[in-house]
Amino acid sequence: MKKQNYIADAWLVILLSLLFGGGLAGVQASLKPRIDANKLGDTLSQIPALVPGSTRGEKADAGEAVVYKALDAAGATTGWVIPASGQGFADRLELLIGLDATGGRITGLYVLDQKETPGLGDNITAKAWRDQYAGKATDKPIVVRKTKPEAPNEIQAITGATISSDSVTAIANAAVAKFRTDLAGGGIH
Amino acid sequence: MDYLATILLLAISTALINNMVFHFFVGNCPFIGVSRKLDTAFGMGAAVTFVTTIAALLSWLITWAVLAPGAPLTTWVWHLIRPDAKGVVDLSILNYVVYIFVIAWAVQLVEMYVRKFFPALYKAFGVFLPLITTNCVILFVCLEIMKHVPSAGDVPDPWGLDKALIYAFCAGLGFLIAIVIMAGMREEIEHCDVPKPLQGPGITLIMAGILSLAFLGFTGMDSNLAKILKPAPTPAPEIKAAPPPAS
Amino acid sequence: MSNDGPTPLERFVQGIIPENPVLRQVLGICPTLAVTNTMEGAMTMTGAVLFVLACANVLISLIRGMLKPHLRILVFTLTIAAFVTVADRLLAAFMYDMSKQLGPYIPLIIVNCIIIARCEICAAKQGVWTAFSDAVGQSLGFGLALGCIATVREVLGFGTWFGKWLGWHVIPASIPTDVWSPWVIMVLPPGAFLTLGLLLGATNWMTARTKKA
Repeated sequence: MKKQNYIADAWLVILLSLLFGGGLAGVQASLKPRIDANKLGDTLSQIPALVPGSTRGEKADAGEAVVYKALDAAGATTGWVIPASGQGFADRLELLIGLDATGGRITGLYVLDQKETPGLGDNITAKAWRDQYAGKATDKPIVVRKTKPEAPNEIQAITGATISSDSVTAIANAAVAKFRTDLAGGGIH
Repeated sequence: MDYLATILLLAISTALINNMVFHFFVGNCPFIGVSRKLDTAFGMGAAVTFVTTIAALLSWLITWAVLAPGAPLTTWVWHLIRPDAKGVVDLSILNYVVYIFVIAWAVQLVEMYVRKFFPALYKAFGVFLPLITTNCVILFVCLEIMKHVPSAGDVPDPWGLDKALIYAFCAGLGFLIAIVIMAGMREEIEHCDVPKPLQGPGITLIMAGILSLAFLGFTGMDSNLAKILKPAPTPAPEIKAAPPPAS
Repeated sequence: MSNDGPTPLERFVQGIIPENPVLRQVLGICPTLAVTNTMEGAMTMTGAVLFVLACANVLISLIRGMLKPHLRILVFTLTIAAFVTVADRLLAAFMYDMSKQLGPYIPLIIVNCIIIARCEICAAKQGVWTAFSDAVGQSLGFGLALGCIATVREVLGFGTWFGKWLGWHVIPASIPTDVWSPWVIMVLPPGAFLTLGLLLGATNWMTARTKKA
């Protein structure tokens, strides 16, 4: 077979590739801002619920780390929201943790993504359980108990899902500790 | 030790807990179609494992060097054309098109190579090679690796080439385990009196359901193993220079 | 050329029941199992498949005269992959929640045997209208099968139907849990396998009965 034949045979493939390449570039250019806004909005839309008194949020300047700043209507900083992730019972957990302006107290916790066992572990998304974290001081790590909490830094595990509860708490503790170190070191604006 | 533990956990989680067939449902067409005989099932599983690993290697390299946002090769070429260009070059829109061709090409390559240099191996699983271009396991693995290739964008859990390869190999291994178990069961069920409407795919799917129930038992094994292998790096984090709590 | 083979209407009707891609041809099992724990997932998947299949079928049918036999599959794959990328981006832009829920199963449409089979069987041989109605018929058949499975799984697993979009509680939430509690198994992978297996059995059983009668 002569060499030209390959080119002649493949002209349709080449033409289609160019057409599709152009078309996809167009799709990417027109939709990318929207998709990026969706991704960011996923986090930002949770901020008013996570930090009381805030109405909106924005990405804070925190060097390598990703931190969101919660702002009230007047534009003053009311608190911080930090994303955190780690191993859960079944798969990775992704959390958002709300903190007050000094980082001294947790104001809320939200589960962005989880694949825990339905009916047991996925109760970590329930508001009643998550609300246990609100108001906890951050100078001591939170401890999970199977029975009713006694000390102020304790929360109660979900029945039948101790590992999921432990995982959320461990991820939150580590993220909060790192954030406090960064905040005290002046790395976050 | 920590590295070994990470790798071991990734392997167990991929092959057993998040088994391709029983957890992600990918590769079900060959799982039902080619699981009638034990030896063909093994051949199919081996072929998938082999090609998945090769496709993963290629797709990790291509994604890292060319497709990911701010990839070195693309950026270099772009700066040759437009030396004053700014911003991140992002070709990730082409991911899917490129992956499917990488897979098709890898399958062709592997077939030619194996036929020429390992005739015995070719006899064992060569006939399945052309069939597996459209096997979802391979594309699924490429897509999963795509999410973890380190790049200029936000990557929550970046994987190096080592982790990507282990992931791919174990994903294929998980498929192999699933299809071999299934073939063993189907060889036995040949002798059973299955209700007529359920014969063929029907009873196979029901058996797969029961098997996947059994595989659910592995859930949580990784988080418990992690506790044993990586003795608690996080508890009681020391907090330095804590600012005073808000009034 | 377009006079050969089934007419557009025949293609359309055949796709829904007689040649149903999931229940009769047992193709495209992977999305059928993976996205059917809620009706929303099933319907979004059907929409994506409809979009990709219709676009690919129409385009292939338009260029069918120029196809070289040995490059045929290459052209099919290229076309499908391009349209799947478009569908994926559109979902991420306009239905972000669904895009997150379906995750990798949207790009996996590329290797869904239904689409490449329809390109090969119908679009590469017949006219644009036939190809289009074939795509719509096959997608509706696909949607029907997904809808059946998703209905069983969502009603038994969550007690709702279109719970996220319409909030319909088929089984009232007020029923005490010791009388009836959601079957977690239906939401988990085993429920998908069992439901599809039994559904295939039921289809075969009904076919056998109709033939006898």
